[in-house]
Amino acid sequence: MSHHHPHDHSHEHHHEEVEGSWRDSGDDRPLSVARRRFLAGLGAAGVATTLGATAAHAHDDRPATPVNPWRGRGRWYAGDHHIHTKYSSDGQYEVAQQVAKAREHGLDWVVITDHGGVAHEKFSVDLVAPDIEQARKSHRDVLVYQGLEWNIPGAEHATVFLPPGRSTVDILRAFEAAYDGGVLSTPVDRGGKGVLTRSTSADGEPYALAALRYLESQVLSGRTEIALMFANHPARRGVDSPHEFRGWRDAAPGVAVGMEGAPGHQAAGIKTADGGRGGARGYYDGSPNQDSFPGFAPTATENPYRTYGGFDWMTAKVGGLWDSLLAEGRPWWVTATSDAHQVHQDTHKPGVGNHNETGTRGAPVDTGAPQVYGDYWPGYYSSTLVGANSKSYVDLMRGMQGGKVVAVHGRLVDGLDLRVRSLGEGDNRGVTIGGRTFVRRGDDVEVVIEVDLARAANFAGVVPRLAKVDLIAGPVTGPAVDRDAFSAPATKVVKSFEVNRTARGTVKFTHTFRGVEGAFYLRLRGSDGNRSTSDGNPVMDVIGDADPWADLWFYANPVFVDVV
Amino acid sequence: MSWLGAVPTLPGGHGAAHVDALLLAALDDVPAGFVCTHTDRLGPVAVTTLSAHVTGEVDVDRLSAALGGPVAVDVDPDSPASRAARAGRERTDGRCIRFPGQSALTGTHPAAEVVAGSAIDRVVGIGVPVAPTDLVETLGFLRPVCQDGELVLLVEPAVGGVLRPVEAESPHECCGGGH
Repeated sequence: MSHHHPHDHSHEHHHEEVEGSWRDSGDDRPLSVARRRFLAGLGAAGVATTLGATAAHAHDDRPATPVNPWRGRGRWYAGDHHIHTKYSSDGQYEVAQQVAKAREHGLDWVVITDHGGVAHEKFSVDLVAPDIEQARKSHRDVLVYQGLEWNIPGAEHATVFLPPGRSTVDILRAFEAAYDGGVLSTPVDRGGKGVLTRSTSADGEPYALAALRYLESQVLSGRTEIALMFANHPARRGVDSPHEFRGWRDAAPGVAVGMEGAPGHQAAGIKTADGGRGGARGYYDGSPNQDSFPGFAPTATENPYRTYGGFDWMTAKVGGLWDSLLAEGRPWWVTATSDAHQVHQDTHKPGVGNHNETGTRGAPVDTGAPQVYGDYWPGYYSSTLVGANSKSYVDLMRGMQGGKVVAVHGRLVDGLDLRVRSLGEGDNRGVTIGGRTFVRRGDDVEVVIEVDLARAANFAGVVPRLAKVDLIAGPVTGPAVDRDAFSAPATKVVKSFEVNRTARGTVKFTHTFRGVEGAFYLRLRGSDGNRSTSDGNPVMDVIGDADPWADLWFYANPVFVDVV
Repeated sequence: MSWLGAVPTLPGGHGAAHVDALLLAALDDVPAGFVCTHTDRLGPVAVTTLSAHVTGEVDVDRLSAALGGPVAVDVDPDSPASRAARAGRERTDGRCIRFPGQSALTGTHPAAEVVAGSAIDRVVGIGVPVAPTDLVETLGFLRPVCQDGELVLLVEPAVGGVLRPVEAESPHECCGGGH
């Protein structure tokens, strides 16, 4: 406590856009956070309870308190939590290029997420920090987070990120050294720890839980104000088992908050005949391996290893894995990212550096000729819209933690105002996306949806037309007995709203759930109507023939309704 | 005529097709016409096992050395190798890497021909019905799966109105496939 600071501890800190950089020695925010909590009479356990309340748990005996109260139209901040640079062995761009492109394509925030691993932990985590700092200075209107694409031990990849702070790089480096599946599974003679059979093998699962607890402890101790984790491309290899999602969330409910509803690499499915790569949309062309969850198997009716309308099967399937988590009353949010490594029709090739030995591939080489790749620039196609109180590093992350998130492809919508409220006794003001409201048993719940249609063309040069909005709902049935459950059979599309062809600006829909007898949740999705099954669901993307611009969807995160 | 099972030692960081080639190379001098890989999940970490239907003499010690792991010929109920042998014999599960008729199915064939000319019992479309005349573009790589005693080839719609097997020979690998 030698770092005394004379200000009034009770005030809320104001966050400027580039405040709290990693080398700002004057930043004492973590200490102040700890003091505020101390003064508020909260020990570490008390803080955990506060976080739990923020994240809204189901089925407890606390009095109902609305979460994410509706406040009228809020602002959406578009961003991307999954971006690679030359500090990934399969990436190529400078941080500055990615941030400039993100800004050019309208993003307000980005997370730099190079792959974890021995060389990254040894070199790249330190090399990228000053590049990020420089990018913040060059583009003061874009929030640039330092993150990591973590190899979750026993599972897939995940975005892990923190707001800028004195300890950000230290926390990320320590986290990666101790808990990255690549580091843990690489033999000792090649610089790793050699303690896991494979990065994705089940012996890694306890390390994943310890890793998330470590991050939560960094928040509780005040070393960082917040830390978040989103599971990336969750169904791509089938290695994220249902019990692992539940385990992550339970281990660190303030940190493990969601997954990519749609993976990146959305250009990868463009036909060869159209100048594309002719691969699978999202590079989702896999099949089960030894570490895949056996329940995720291709059958006559579905293939979990493919995307559906560009979205991951876990999110796209009504009553599927995502719904099975929501039906427990378990907050779990979905996003959409670019996963930009190499951008379709960009002219760059990777530099000639040895990533293994230096942690970087060096400056990319401009060939002058457009290349056939599978990715889009950040913001070009995929957007994660986040509702936040202000455009500051911590507020944006609080918005993500609280589920005020909409995943959008190809600018299908510009924004969404959802209000869910009791028309009888209960919460009459209501809540918005990611929230939790309550109603007296037997009363009615009103849902008001206002969609901001695209005001201008997307980056394919077309103003996309939203054709429909689906209202999806299902009962909240409490914690699943089977931790590997991945279906919610009672979750259904309860209403499909058609959008008038001539509609412009904002369209409004309402629906009333009458005489509500039990807890439930609801969520929204919408599409351009180009590709759907007969029951309105997205179609499995065809390998080598998936024009992403002709099959646009958005997915909004849920609202939970308790009955009191 | 017997079924053998094995727990091979496999190199990390390689795709399934590469591993298949190594396994088949190890079986080079073994008269085996039906070979599957299986996943044994009874231990703390899943392991890939192998089963093979052999029609002649097998030098078990030599095969064990070639595969880098135990080989079981008799069905002893408690070892991963014998569990694999049983799964292959009963076709309860497994991914078939060699089967009768495989070598003739390297081009684009009607579904009826796939069934008539090989050990594959059925061609099953994912989300689509498969007519006998529908074309299956094998791309020279077929990995049918054992399901309920049958050998089933799962296919999905592909470019140009044909069907293709769901398992591709070279799926996209991120970061070199290391993790």
